[in-house]
Amino acid sequence: MAGTVSALAEAPFAGRRAGSPGGNAARDWLSEQLRGLGAEPAADPFPVRAVPEVYAVPEITWSDGTDTRRLVFGRQAAVHLASADVPAARRGQVAVAGAGDPVGRWLLVPAGMSLFDAYGHGDGALGLLIGRPVDADGWQYTMLAGPDPGPLPVLTLDPDTYAAMFAAAPTGLAWLAGNTPIRRADVTAANLHGHCRTASGRSPDLLLTAHYDGVGDHPGLRQPAAADNGSGVAVVLEAARVLAPVLPDGAGFAVALLDAEEIGALGSAHHAARLRRAGAAPQVVNVDGAGQLHEAAAVEAGGPAHRLLAVLDQAGRHTGLPLAAGPVASDNRRYAAAGLAAVGIGAGMGGYHSPADTPDRVDTATLVAVCRLVVATVWLAATTPAARSAGHRPSPDMTDSSSLQDRSLS
Amino acid sequence: MSDTQTRGGFTGDPATALTVTGTSGCCGNPPQAGVDLPEPAVAASPCCGTRAEAAAEGSCCGSTAKTDAVAAGQGCCG
Repeated sequence: MAGTVSALAEAPFAGRRAGSPGGNAARDWLSEQLRGLGAEPAADPFPVRAVPEVYAVPEITWSDGTDTRRLVFGRQAAVHLASADVPAARRGQVAVAGAGDPVGRWLLVPAGMSLFDAYGHGDGALGLLIGRPVDADGWQYTMLAGPDPGPLPVLTLDPDTYAAMFAAAPTGLAWLAGNTPIRRADVTAANLHGHCRTASGRSPDLLLTAHYDGVGDHPGLRQPAAADNGSGVAVVLEAARVLAPVLPDGAGFAVALLDAEEIGALGSAHHAARLRRAGAAPQVVNVDGAGQLHEAAAVEAGGPAHRLLAVLDQAGRHTGLPLAAGPVASDNRRYAAAGLAAVGIGAGMGGYHSPADTPDRVDTATLVAVCRLVVATVWLAATTPAARSAGHRPSPDMTDSSSLQDRSLS
Repeated sequence: MSDTQTRGGFTGDPATALTVTGTSGCCGNPPQAGVDLPEPAVAASPCCGTRAEAAAEGSCCGSTAKTDAVAAGQGCCG
């Protein structure tokens, strides 16, 4: 599992942003892993619109009138998702939004002022400057899901820089020069399916899922996405390796490695819709983050998941892994929203959506503990009478991978 | 009888996981503060009752432990 995490975090996969060459290369690599498990991989592509990408290192310099400082991209300054694409640097005085003439100035947005209101004060401004907390490693973590681009360039500043600019602005001597090279691309993402066993009769049907996409590298800034969610993918692949040969006849079992979770869980939305159309109703176990277990693994459930939760509880007791109800804002929500029994398991991660999400921060013991939990859960669900009675006969359309195999791998 | 053989599973009703009120949307699961991994020896324990009971019962749960667990509203495997 640690090897899988390291492989997915490598430079050629470039942080695995959906629709990127790195994301496509990661999917190809994962296809080979599924083949190695004896599960013929099948890619299921789907379109994703307006994926944000910072395509050049922003060049941002500011002065309080005495000292001139170049800001470090990713730490002291970053490009806000609502920013317009402005490739060339704009230089002008630093002022405060809502105080004085905005024309030709960069405007600091006071805490508590909405972006909407800042736009209202920003007619003719060069751009907006918003304060933003940094994580424990000093990074402004990356998000891909967020507001659409607005009319102005928007930069986010770490708290120290923001405070220094706010203090300097009233002097009238502070200035900033900066650009916001961010674009939106319409791309094709793809889920990767591995079918292992077809359910028969009223036998249980289990689906293991984990998203393999990340937020992607920035220019000059690697974001390996090791814990989020190379760790979840590693757990699911290892669990599948263990389970596929030994599950009882009749039990259905499949793996879905999902794309575009970081853009709003679009891959699972796509898959859940397919399952609904096919009349299939597998019980879904999703793993998002198996990097740093703390007191307990978080579990969020949705849909008709009472029996699946009972089985998960038993599995936790079997394996000694404490479980706690807690938010797992991931693909499990899409399956649950489609009416499927779905649980999401999250065991923590370091360096969330930042360059600090590296393989060395993924704890091998956590990988093992979560994998044991997943294996025990699927095993119990497939073999205990209570769970078996909850099974649904899935439609051959989605449980037979042949229905997906005609879609080309990319 | 309480489940003293393992720290695993939910400490309360698993169904609380169905009513999680947390972050909205589906864009990642931020890290949580916390503590340690269970020891392997603990992880190998039966879900309730003792290992000897489990062996005698042919399941992971001793009959007394199971009866108590069910009466207490706790889940019990086997």
